[in-house]
Amino acid sequence: MSTPSDLQPLVPTHQLERKAMLLLVFMLALVLGSAAYVLFARGAFERTQQLVLVADDSEGVVVGMDMTFSGFPIGRVSRIELAPDGKARIVVEVPLKQAAWLRQSSVFTLVRGLVGNTNIRAYSGMLSDPPLPDGAVREVLRGDATADIPRLITAARELVESVHTLVGTEGALGASLVNVQQLTDKLKGPTGALGVLLGNDAEAKKLLLTLEKTNSLLARLDGLAVKTDAQVFGADGVMPQTRATVVQLNALLGEARSSLKRVDAVLIEAQAVGANARVATADLGTLRAEVESSLSKVESLVNDINRKWPFARDTEVKLP
Amino acid sequence: MSRLPTPEKTAEPSAGASRGSLGVRALDGLMAWLAGWWRVLYLGAQIMVLAVSPSSYGPANRLLLARHVVLATAPILLWFTLLCALATLVITRIVVVTALSYGLSQYALQLIIRVLVLELIPLGAALFVALRSTIASSAELAEMRLRGELAALAEPLRQEAMPRVVAGMFASITLAALSCVVALVLAYLAVYGFTLSALPAYTRLFGQVFNPAVTLIFVLKTLFFSLAVALMPIVSALYDDAPAGLRHGAELRALARMFVVILLIEMVSLVGNYY
Repeated sequence: MSTPSDLQPLVPTHQLERKAMLLLVFMLALVLGSAAYVLFARGAFERTQQLVLVADDSEGVVVGMDMTFSGFPIGRVSRIELAPDGKARIVVEVPLKQAAWLRQSSVFTLVRGLVGNTNIRAYSGMLSDPPLPDGAVREVLRGDATADIPRLITAARELVESVHTLVGTEGALGASLVNVQQLTDKLKGPTGALGVLLGNDAEAKKLLLTLEKTNSLLARLDGLAVKTDAQVFGADGVMPQTRATVVQLNALLGEARSSLKRVDAVLIEAQAVGANARVATADLGTLRAEVESSLSKVESLVNDINRKWPFARDTEVKLP
Repeated sequence: MSRLPTPEKTAEPSAGASRGSLGVRALDGLMAWLAGWWRVLYLGAQIMVLAVSPSSYGPANRLLLARHVVLATAPILLWFTLLCALATLVITRIVVVTALSYGLSQYALQLIIRVLVLELIPLGAALFVALRSTIASSAELAEMRLRGELAALAEPLRQEAMPRVVAGMFASITLAALSCVVALVLAYLAVYGFTLSALPAYTRLFGQVFNPAVTLIFVLKTLFFSLAVALMPIVSALYDDAPAGLRHGAELRALARMFVVILLIEMVSLVGNYY
């Protein structure tokens, strides 16, 4: 057999070869196209500039992850290495057309989320600053959402322990609840709220007894009051008699008033007598003055007589 | 080129075999197993040498190659692509809806690319080619060998075996490449709709998934899958001999061997990708 299989009758040779060539070209186009797309997607055709971010800890950072600016990916981590000083150097490739967003004043943060995803973010406050040069080295700020978790857990544990102590049988709340339980038991008991207020049952019983006594006392008081009412306000009670006495007093008072009026008249007369006496007293003053002047005149007369009289004593000192 | 040797017949166990003969049988079985793998490697290497030597692509052989390539690839290309498109749409929908319900929609596309393009499609393409092309092709070769047509050829390996292996590999790679492209396009359309505006983000995501290591593993995996599904049934058809009427036993053994190899490749690739 010169030919291995019966292919001649199946398809014409040139058509078969053309088909095979078509398939080959198709396959090559697919493979090469895919390879080109992978290279393009990996950024192999972009001109880039390097940015080195220095971090204390590069945990969560992987090669190929994005660096974002305002949520848009503008760069890609191409390498992570350990610097001689023990810090992590994260080398980011930034395409030149995206590098315009990075300025010398830009700030870079490395943020770890709760579910473990890590983001590198760039912030440019002043876009008018000079652009970031190629190969720039910047410190990266860490904002770690999970860093607070241990502290939070410790605090939460303390809180739970406190709550546990509080609500435990030994705790204040537990004791209070036990007291409340006892209280409600007492409330439900025969002495009720009184027992709660007074502390023990004996006191409560005493109070109850007192109340009963008070009740009977009140009943007796009531009877007493009825009797008093009859005695005071009854037909032969104190009050009607008092009223009669008052009427009599009124009459007495009227008489007293007329007596007083008469006394009043007597007083007016006495007043008139007084006035007369006063006038008389005034006249007496004049009389006295006149008597006094008369007396002085008499005296001066006596004096004159004495001087003129011979047996008058020689009173003058005669000078030699 | 060496003539195809007939494998040594194993000794028939005598009736009432003792424990000693059981041990001998186990040893013989192990030797036969090792010899089988050795033959696969040896003949596979011979065929690969033929496949890469330019003299195999002379005008006489080219026609044979063209015929096998067309027969192995063209009939299944459309069907497999359609099947793959359907699977892509379904899986994309499931993943996107699930991711959305967990609030992890930013990881949905990455997951789709990883699951479909990196893992499922190369494996699916290889298995599809094996079941639809290379196993049938190897059965045909075994028939030819049984009829003695193969022995009559001047260069049976170059004229019959090598074209079938190359055609199988070609079909496997073409199917994988086309299905990957279709899956990528359909996943994009299913997630973003008919718009071009999300293309940069999608490209970026794709670039993040296909880092150099993953790409290398993906290429190697696809290549070794195609090699396994193309080479192993053909080699088995050339070598494995079974007692008359038990041809299916040999075919099953070849199939099992192929699946073991595919499983190994998949495991190695998974280890490479995720460890």
